[in-house]
Amino acid sequence: MKPSSSLPLKNHNIPMKKIINKILVTGGLFCLLGITSCTKELNQQPITSKSLTNFLTTETEVEEYVNAVYGTLQLNGLYGLYLPAIGEIPSDNTFDEVPANDSGMYGQLDQFTTVASNGMLSDLWKNSYQGIQRANTVLNRIDGIPYASAATKQARKGEMHFVRALLYFNMVRVFGDVPLVIKETTNPNEFFGQGRTNKDLVYAQIISDLTNAIQELPASTTTSGKAVKTAAQSLIGKVYLTLGKFAESKAVLADVVASGRHQLLAEPADIFALTNKNNNEIIFAVQFASGINGNSEGSSAYQQFSPSGTISGAKGHNLPTKSFYQLYSASDKRKTAYVGLTSAGTPFSTKLKASATTPVDGGSNFVVLRYADVLLMLAEDENELGNTETAKTYLNLVRRRAGLADATQQSQVDVRDAITLERRLELIGEGHRWFDLLRTGTAVSVMNAWFASQNITTRITNRDLLQPIPQDQIDTDPAIKQNP
Amino acid sequence: MNVPLNGIKGRYCLIFNHIMQTNKLKKTIRKFKCFAAFALLIMITHAVYAQQNTSVKGTVVDEKGATLPGVSVMMVDQTTKKQESTVTDLKGIFVFNNVKIGNRYDFSFNYVGYEKKTSPAFLINPGTNNSILIRMETSSSGLNDVVVVGYGSQRKTKITGAISQVKSEELNKYAGSNFAQQLAGKAAGVVINDASAQPGTDPQIVIRGIGTLTAGVSPLVVVDGFPLSEGSSLNTVNPQDIETIDILKDPASAAIYGSRAANGVILITTKNGRSDKNTVSFDFYTGAQVRADKVDLVDGYQFAQLNTEARDWGYVSRNPTSRSISDDYATRVSKGANKRDLRLNYIQPYLNNQPGLTNTDWLDEIFRTAPISSYNVAVSGGNDKSKYYFSGNYFDQDGIVIETGLKRYSMSFKFDSKLSKSFDVGLSINPSYNRQKFFQNDASRSSDAIGAALIMYPFFPARNNDGSLAISQQITANTPEDGALGENPVAIMEKTKYNKNLFRTFGNAYLNFKPITGLTFKSLLGGDYSNSFIDFFTPSDVGEYRTAAPKPARTSETNGSVINYLWENTLTFEKTFGKHDINVLAGTTFQKESGNNTLVSGTGIPDNNIDNIAGASSFSVVPQRYVWTQLSYLTRLQYAYANKYLFSAAIRRDGSSRFGQDAKWGNFPSVTGGWIVSREDFFPKVNWIDLLKFRATYGKAGNNQIGNYSSYALANPLSYVSGSTLLPGFAAVNPANSTLSWETKTSYNFGMDLGLFKVLNLSANYYSMVTSDLLLQVPVPSQSGYDSALQNVGRASNKGLELELSGTNIKLGPLSWNFGANIASNKNKVLELGPGQNQIVTGTNSAFRTKVGGPIAELYGYNVTGVYKNQSEIDNSPHVAGALLGDYIVQDVNGDGKITPDDRMGFGTYAPKITYGFNSSLAYKSFELSFSINGIWGRKIYDNGLVNMESGEGFSMADTYYYENRYHPVNNPNGFLAQPNTNYSANRLNTNASNIFFQKADYIRLRNVQLTYNLSSKLLSKLKVSRASVYVTGNNLLTVTNFRGFNPDATSDNVLTSGYSNSNYPVARSFVAGFNLTF
Repeated sequence: MKPSSSLPLKNHNIPMKKIINKILVTGGLFCLLGITSCTKELNQQPITSKSLTNFLTTETEVEEYVNAVYGTLQLNGLYGLYLPAIGEIPSDNTFDEVPANDSGMYGQLDQFTTVASNGMLSDLWKNSYQGIQRANTVLNRIDGIPYASAATKQARKGEMHFVRALLYFNMVRVFGDVPLVIKETTNPNEFFGQGRTNKDLVYAQIISDLTNAIQELPASTTTSGKAVKTAAQSLIGKVYLTLGKFAESKAVLADVVASGRHQLLAEPADIFALTNKNNNEIIFAVQFASGINGNSEGSSAYQQFSPSGTISGAKGHNLPTKSFYQLYSASDKRKTAYVGLTSAGTPFSTKLKASATTPVDGGSNFVVLRYADVLLMLAEDENELGNTETAKTYLNLVRRRAGLADATQQSQVDVRDAITLERRLELIGEGHRWFDLLRTGTAVSVMNAWFASQNITTRITNRDLLQPIPQDQIDTDPAIKQNP
Repeated sequence: MNVPLNGIKGRYCLIFNHIMQTNKLKKTIRKFKCFAAFALLIMITHAVYAQQNTSVKGTVVDEKGATLPGVSVMMVDQTTKKQESTVTDLKGIFVFNNVKIGNRYDFSFNYVGYEKKTSPAFLINPGTNNSILIRMETSSSGLNDVVVVGYGSQRKTKITGAISQVKSEELNKYAGSNFAQQLAGKAAGVVINDASAQPGTDPQIVIRGIGTLTAGVSPLVVVDGFPLSEGSSLNTVNPQDIETIDILKDPASAAIYGSRAANGVILITTKNGRSDKNTVSFDFYTGAQVRADKVDLVDGYQFAQLNTEARDWGYVSRNPTSRSISDDYATRVSKGANKRDLRLNYIQPYLNNQPGLTNTDWLDEIFRTAPISSYNVAVSGGNDKSKYYFSGNYFDQDGIVIETGLKRYSMSFKFDSKLSKSFDVGLSINPSYNRQKFFQNDASRSSDAIGAALIMYPFFPARNNDGSLAISQQITANTPEDGALGENPVAIMEKTKYNKNLFRTFGNAYLNFKPITGLTFKSLLGGDYSNSFIDFFTPSDVGEYRTAAPKPARTSETNGSVINYLWENTLTFEKTFGKHDINVLAGTTFQKESGNNTLVSGTGIPDNNIDNIAGASSFSVVPQRYVWTQLSYLTRLQYAYANKYLFSAAIRRDGSSRFGQDAKWGNFPSVTGGWIVSREDFFPKVNWIDLLKFRATYGKAGNNQIGNYSSYALANPLSYVSGSTLLPGFAAVNPANSTLSWETKTSYNFGMDLGLFKVLNLSANYYSMVTSDLLLQVPVPSQSGYDSALQNVGRASNKGLELELSGTNIKLGPLSWNFGANIASNKNKVLELGPGQNQIVTGTNSAFRTKVGGPIAELYGYNVTGVYKNQSEIDNSPHVAGALLGDYIVQDVNGDGKITPDDRMGFGTYAPKITYGFNSSLAYKSFELSFSINGIWGRKIYDNGLVNMESGEGFSMADTYYYENRYHPVNNPNGFLAQPNTNYSANRLNTNASNIFFQKADYIRLRNVQLTYNLSSKLLSKLKVSRASVYVTGNNLLTVTNFRGFNPDATSDNVLTSGYSNSNYPVARSFVAGFNLTF
């Protein structure tokens, strides 16, 4: 290209003043634009999330928050995966097939080598408080929000009281003293330095919440999975039992029986069938379903608790021990209804069913409270109160359903042992055994005897009864002190 | 030599003679013919002009007499003060028509890299032979270079802040897809961490250390005045289009960019057409890349031994009194052995050293020699009114890991034009299309090729004898004893589709209006649009970790687009009167970005026929949308007195949508001063000091790199289910913070520049910066319902010293040498954290601590002093319950007689203490040899891959370092690494975070070596080519380091776990050859 010869420029005879005016006008225009429209643009609201500032103002929105409180129960740290194992794997009922898997966190609980950085405990702690805080938020706000039906509003308050009590009850059994928080968080910094609350105070709050829940909850619900009055009664019955208040426990559990809302199903195999979820025997179960919401409503417990090599990703965490399996008599229907055997002879719980979609999307509900548990608790209450025969009537209801003859034990001690055994056989895989050992004060003796019988060198002391406080909590706030 | 010269007389003959002396005859004649034709044209043109006018012409040459094209020439009529300007053409010639006979004119000549020249009071004589010859001299060490400073540019001598400049010649010696890789080692205090060197991944750029804890660390990148939003891919900018990169390192220099400038600002100026000259340039290179890391895995026979030792000792150590290594499989089962206490069922032939067994090196399977090539064509040119630059580039890089790579098709178009005396307009557009084949480099054993390879035992082949992929063989074989149930990574990579396509175009248009001399109004409208599509499919016929094929197929796709625009209006006034030199800037900018992203995941895929979401029967959708806006006002005054005393002050006021209702606005002031001592009268007049300047700056800049809606308590979906009915739920995931605002970095910078012998330039800076109101994701007690809360709390400081020394055009006999050396230190310290909070411990195995008074992200763990070799050592010292023989002896740091988490201590950081670089370029005749080195000193890395390889857990593959140094009571009693043991005790778990695994990652790297041959100009002129060169380059030829992991630059993105590495994609060594051809 040749350089283009320059054309003479047009002469700009615009007076300077005019130019300056032009600049000022244009400049002014820009500034104006800046101040008005652009300043408004600085206020941007979330588009694909809701903001708590203007959320939770209507009934519909409170209902969404309530659903999220229940949704919290599905998390891994709670009933999605870890809590069932935390409640059973330390006991003689179940064990971890390969203790080294998943950074050894199941194996540590199984073998009493738990370190404070154990991920299961860390998640249990965090998820419990998430649920508690969400329940606190609903309870804090719901009174000011109009509901079409006063009864619905009251039911929701009861549900929140129930869930909060349930979460605290688990925490206090696993960790002992835990921080008690019953108000909505406005400034999270306020919790620095709070430290752990004496467990007696936590229990008092649990009883208070459940007492409220019993008043507030309806006898039944059309939305299966939501807490009902008998759930609160059953739970407080368990709390009283744990505290050794057998009379109080008996009274409230008797109300559950008297309500007529629940019954034992005829066949043990039907209780956990996927086609028979939320049947009459179930009092409260955390709900899961396969193939819903992009496979996000299932649980991976079935996969994780299946013997390794049986299905993809199976790790054999929390398998029934062989010695436990041998406790079933040949005629016990539960031997096949509740427990399966791999081709290699490894027992596994069949209370969690295979997923219809992917292994991590198991559709079995996790049963927290069911009628058989209530009957066995009542039996225990009656036996501890000296009513051995009444105790046996409750015990026999469970035995008969299993196809067994009535109990023949006579003494309080023998009946106690019979109830204990029946609880193990009936409630295997439901996360109760370790807590039962704890509340009956038999954990140390039973476990050491069991270890000896299994030729395992481990021995425990009272120090092993509480789990360590998660190290991340102590690292965050040293006011949270470790268990001794 | 004598040639008739019709019509050329007087001064021009001087030029001619000069040319004759220095150039060859033929060339001169050609030039002369051109000139004669041109002169004739001018003479003809002249006839139409009035008598009193004529023309003046001239030639500009360099010191050697070679003509200089593209020199700006300014002519001022002394009588009328009227100005006119032009640039020299391809032959270094300029012409002004319409000059008045008898008037005197002042001429001035400017060219980058040369001293300004003037020719005052040139008298115009009647006739057409008014000619000037100007010989320009190269400026001393580039002191007159123009440096871009943000909303303007300044000569280097006038700079008061800490700004490093890197030019395109330096950049393009590294064959890579983005400029950040090319910056490594080039500028003091600028650290490039190529943490995951997968093609298409952006390196981390850290300027003067990290001063934030949980907000972003990326500097602001501004391309031709358009600030890119953080996180936007650097791979969409073709490095060959870059002319210069100016790095504003101190917050005072960067403060004009306000709330986004705290991490520094990188100003990229792209190439432009330069003169009355049209250039076509072709660049092509191609080469190969190979693996250059030091990871060395054991072979099958060694691994069989290790794995068996671990299983045997695991079995026995659980109950030494009743168990024995000699127990066979059945006995072990009967004694209650768990699966990992049993020997692998197929292992015996390996233990017997039976020859000819399968012995796969999985790293050889997943790594390959990979080609890299680039094709670039650039056309540029213009005239005194308009300039243009147009380029097209095709870049194709395969990754050294199989099935990875990047292809980029990009263009750049830039056009600037003077519409009239007072109006300029310009436009630039940079479209690009990236196609990336990749995997998530997250160490997943199911989908990351490297993560998966590290659990693959050598006992299994990648392919069957018939060449088909071997699927799930290890999973099946290892299931009975729960060995690593890993899927063949070659099969994973070949069968999984993971593609990312990104179309992006960004650019801007501006209008300059200059109503009066010195005053410029500029309105700039910039835009950036990108559209991304990510397509993922994994078929059922390949397994994954712990899952043998067939598994359910999975698929997902992500569609996203981002649109960002900027409208910026500035007024600049420049004036020199007497000794005063002022430049005033004022303006407003508004920027808005809207993005959306929809992730659709599909399951329920009956077969593998359709390898995208169309094959799925069940879907879940995650939509994401956001908008952010920023409105700013800025003003700056730059003042110089007598070119000796320099001063500037600036303030920017920024409002951002990201911050809380009560804290949207922030002010970012800065003041700077400079004193050019060498221009003082009292300064000794020595000819070897060209410049001595002292500088000081103080300023504040902000960091707003947090989520778009972080001030709100966001309620996200958390649904529940009843039967099969979904109960939609929402719950808050973080607490609200209406006062959330930017963090502010306040800095002092003291600097000195020294120019010596016209060739050396030394620049030194000391800085001290404090970041306050840190945007800190404060871990809070979980009973609040939250794990952390984003707050403006805490302070951190960075202090450092930087030295840069450069030499330009140093003559060593026939050699010409250019070099640049830089070294920088940085020290960071946490001054304050959340209320009542002394430290933040985080990361895998809690291996990172950020403590008040200490550095950010210190590696944190136990101090191992040896290995327990007998029971009394365990019994007689503090130990964790369950410690076994062959475990690590841990120091009781606090001396309380127990081993508790309180015995952990700090072991250094990823942030290097010292970084340095050295670049050299030596030219001899037609050859040029250049190299550059960059180095890091004082870095430590916590490599989880090495934890797996060297822990002795008997599960993952091991490296030879572990094999050789593991303790074995009989075979290797002096081993200092813990004994292989599947019974992995609390002691071993704890010591996964210990000095054993905190590795030094210092390195010196020969970043590039290049040998260039420039074809002789004699040959070129025949071919009508102005420049032709061929070169060979080696990148990362040598890295001296003790680090045993894949990548000594590896780090996580999270500042609080800086230096956490896990199978990070290694940096390749590459060899390329290329040529450049310019017409």
